[in-house]
Amino acid sequence: MNTIFHVLLLLFFDSLSLYGIIIRGLFIAGSWMILKKSGIRPFWALVPWVREYQLSRCSMREPEGRWFMISSIIVTVLQITLYFFRNAPDESFVFSLAALILVIIITAMIVHFVFNIRVFSGLIEIYGLKKLWILLFIIDETRFIPLLIWGFGSKYQPEWKVEDLRGEMKRLATQGSAPVIGDGLTVNLEDRTVREFFHTKMLLRDIHMAIPQGHMVLLLGGSGAGKTTYVNAVNGYEKANAQVTLNGQNMYKDYKKMQYEVGFVPQSEMIRSKDTVFNTLMDSASLRLSIDIPADERRARVEDVIDTFGLRSVRNSKVEKLSGGQKKRLSISMEYLSNPSLFILDEPDSGLDAVMAGELFEHLRAIADSGKIIIVITHSPDRVIDLFDDIIVLAKDSTRTGRLAYFGSIDGARAFFGCDKMEDIIKLINHTDEGGEGRADEFVLKYAEVANG
Amino acid sequence: MADRERHALKVRHKGRIAQAWLYFMKFLRMFVYQNDWKVLPMAALISGLVGFVMSSLFMHTMEGTLTGSFALVCICIWNGSFNSIQVICRERDVIKREHRSGMRVSSYVLAQMLYQLLLCLLQTIVTLIVTNAAGMHFPADGLLTRWFICDLGITIFLITYAADLMSLWISSLCRSPAAAMTVMPFMLVFQLIFSGGLISLPDIAKPLTSITVSAPGFRAIASLADVNSRPVATVDKILGATDGMEIKYQITLGQVLDALKDNKNNSSVTAARSLKLGYMDTIGNILDDLMKDENFNELRGKNLFAGITVGDILETINELEIAEPYKDRTVGAQTTLGEVVDYLATNKDVQNLRDEGFTIRTSTNDLMDLIGREKALKLIGDKVSEISARPECGHTPDNVLGNWMILILFIPVFSVLCGITLSFIDKDKR
Repeated sequence: MNTIFHVLLLLFFDSLSLYGIIIRGLFIAGSWMILKKSGIRPFWALVPWVREYQLSRCSMREPEGRWFMISSIIVTVLQITLYFFRNAPDESFVFSLAALILVIIITAMIVHFVFNIRVFSGLIEIYGLKKLWILLFIIDETRFIPLLIWGFGSKYQPEWKVEDLRGEMKRLATQGSAPVIGDGLTVNLEDRTVREFFHTKMLLRDIHMAIPQGHMVLLLGGSGAGKTTYVNAVNGYEKANAQVTLNGQNMYKDYKKMQYEVGFVPQSEMIRSKDTVFNTLMDSASLRLSIDIPADERRARVEDVIDTFGLRSVRNSKVEKLSGGQKKRLSISMEYLSNPSLFILDEPDSGLDAVMAGELFEHLRAIADSGKIIIVITHSPDRVIDLFDDIIVLAKDSTRTGRLAYFGSIDGARAFFGCDKMEDIIKLINHTDEGGEGRADEFVLKYAEVANG
Repeated sequence: MADRERHALKVRHKGRIAQAWLYFMKFLRMFVYQNDWKVLPMAALISGLVGFVMSSLFMHTMEGTLTGSFALVCICIWNGSFNSIQVICRERDVIKREHRSGMRVSSYVLAQMLYQLLLCLLQTIVTLIVTNAAGMHFPADGLLTRWFICDLGITIFLITYAADLMSLWISSLCRSPAAAMTVMPFMLVFQLIFSGGLISLPDIAKPLTSITVSAPGFRAIASLADVNSRPVATVDKILGATDGMEIKYQITLGQVLDALKDNKNNSSVTAARSLKLGYMDTIGNILDDLMKDENFNELRGKNLFAGITVGDILETINELEIAEPYKDRTVGAQTTLGEVVDYLATNKDVQNLRDEGFTIRTSTNDLMDLIGREKALKLIGDKVSEISARPECGHTPDNVLGNWMILILFIPVFSVLCGITLSFIDKDKR
C-alpha cells in the first residue's frame, strides 16, 4: 500500500518529500492558470507529462514540447524504477543496474533541462517579458514562481493564444465537387490531415478542380499555404482524403503504375552531382521507361531528350559542372523521359536569372502544348504570366488550414481579386503578421459561393 | 487519352533485381567519380600502422595476440564504418526523388549491399597484404580452411562487412552527413568498449557484447591466433621486478608444530623427524648443534612448506623468548626430533603458546633457488596462462565457426533494418 502511494507521489509530484510535493503542487497550480489563459483546457495541468507538452503549445514551441515531454517521461519512469531498487545491496547485480539507470536519468535530465529552457523562453516571449525571467526556470525549485505570477496576475496576458478552432472551422466550411473529366486531372480533396501528439492538424481542406489536358497552371500561395502538400496529395505521394483522377484513372488506387504518369520536379535538383548528364538520363530512362522498350530505342529517347532540352553540349559533363539553368533543365528532362501526362514543378525558376527563367517557362509552355498538364509553383509569376492558362490560389485561412481561394483563368483571377499583378494576390490573402491584408477567409468563402453557383 | 492511361497500367517496369543491378552499376561508376576509391589507400595506411606496431607481439605472446586481435578488429570496424556512414544520408534527397519515380527501397539496399561487399572484399585483401608486408607473420596452416591467411581473411571480411552494413543502417537513420558523423564516434566507442577485448566488463555489461560486431570478431581472431596457448610475457616482467625481494612470513608456533607432525607424504618432514639426537643434553645445546654442526647441513636445507626450511624454523625457535625456559631442560639419549616435536605438541604449557606468532624472513631468490629458476618460471607461467585463458577464444573450429555465424547473422539484420528505415523516407519533413 505504502509502495503504491510512493509511486503515485513520484508519478504526480516527482518527489517523496513534503518540500518537493509542495513545490510541484505550486508548479501545477501555475500551469493550470497558464493553460487557461492560453485557451487550452486547464485540466491537462493535472496530467503528468502532457502538462509539459501543453505548456509548449502555449509558448508556440510544440516540436520542443515533444522532447520536453519524452524526457519527462523517461526521468519519471526511471525514478520510479530506481525507487524499487533502493534497497539493493552494494555490488549486487541490481545495484549495478541501478547505477546504469542513474546514468540514463542524468542524460535524460540534461535533455529535459535544455528543452525546459527552450519551452519557457518561448513562454517569456509570448508574455512579452524580459529574458531575465529565464533564470527562474534554471532550477526546478523556482520554476513555479513565474508560472504563479503570470498565471494569477491579471496584468500578465499572453500575446498569442491557442485558439479553439472548432467554431471557426465550422464557419469556414465549404462544400463542392468537381465533375470527373476523362481528358485531364480532376481533384476532389476533402481534407489532408496529420496526427500530432494530442490533436489532429488540418493541412488542406475542400479543394475541388478539374484541369483539362494541355493546360499550364500556376499554383500560387503564401508560405505555409499548403502548396507542396497539395501537389504531393495530387500525385498520390502523400495521400489525402481525396479522389484524384488523371485521364479517368484513379491516382491513389493505381499509384504504383500511375506514378510514371506524373513527373514531379522538385525545387532543388536532387541529382547525383558526380555522375555525367548522359548516365543520369540513361539511369532515369531505365527506371522510368517500360522494360519492353529495346535498349537502342531507350538510348535514342535519351538522345532525343538531350536535344529537346538543349543539353547536347554538356552531354558528357558531370552534373556538378552545369550551370543553374542547365541543372534545372536536366532535372525536368529526367521526368520528361517517360512522357508523363502530368508535370508538377516546384519553383523551377529559383536560382535562375530572368532570361533563363523566361526560356524555361517557354519550354514548359511548349510541353503543355503537346497535350500535357503542367502545374508550376513559382513566387515570381508576373514576368511569365501570359504563358499560363489557369491559376490555383491557395490561402491559409484563419484556422491556418490551406484552402482554395480561387481556381480559373488568369483574367478571371484579376477580376476576382481586383488586382492586375499575381504577386498582389499574395498580399491580399496573406495574414497580417506576414505583411498581408489577412483577407484569406473572405476570398475562400467568396470563391466557394462562385464555384457552387 | 483514356486509352493511353489504360495502357500505362499495363506497362511493365524494371523489377527489384534489375533495379538493384542498375544501382550497383551506378555505384561502381561513383566509386571512381565520387572519391569512394579513397577508402582503399586509407585501409592500407591503417593496416600498415597496426602491422608495424604489432609485428613483434601478435602471435608471440598472449598479451600481444590479444592486443593484435583487438587492433585488427579496430581496423575492420573503422574501415567498414567509413565505407558507408555517409552513403545514404548524403544522397537522401536524391533517393527520395528516385523513390518517387519508381525506385524500390529493397533494390537500392540490395545494390548498396553488393557494392559495399565489393569494397569490403578489396579492403580485406589490402589489409592482409599490408599487415603481412609490415611484419605481421601468420602461420601457414589454417583451422577451418587449408591456409591460416584464408581463415583470417574470411574473419576480417565478415567483421568489416557487418560493421559496414551497421553504418549503412545508421546512415539511413540520419538526415544529414553531419548527423551521421556525430553518431559515428559513439558507435565506434561502443563497439570497442563492448568488444570484450581489452577492457574487462562487469557482469551487468556483458550482455551488451552480444549486440556488437566487435565481440564475435575479436573472439574469432583471438581463437584463430590461438591466444590461450601463447606464453604470458607479464610473468617474466613481474619476476624480474621482484628479484631479491625479501618476503616475511608471520606464522604461529602451532603452525610449526603442525608442519613437523608425522607426515608420510613429506619426505623432508619424515627425515627431520627420524633424526636421532644421540646423547643426553639440554634442548638449548641440541638446538645449537642442529643449527651449527656440519653434520646437519643437509637437514637444515630441507624445505618444510612454502619455501621455509628446517634451518629457518630452528633459527626462529632459538630466538624466541618463549622458548628460553625450555632450553635448560634435558632430554634423554637416543631421542628423535620427532619425539621432541610430539612431546612439545602434547605439552600443556606449549599448547597454551600455540597461537603465539613469530616472523620468518626469506627472499624471492631463495624461493626460486629452492624450486629451480626455470622450473619456477614455467610453473608460474603455466599457472598465469591457465588463469588468463579465455574459454571463449579456444583454438577450435567450432569456436571460430560459431563467431563467423554470429557475424553473418548481423548482415541480414542490418540490411533489413536499413530497408525498414529507408521505407519511411517519404515521411521526412519537408
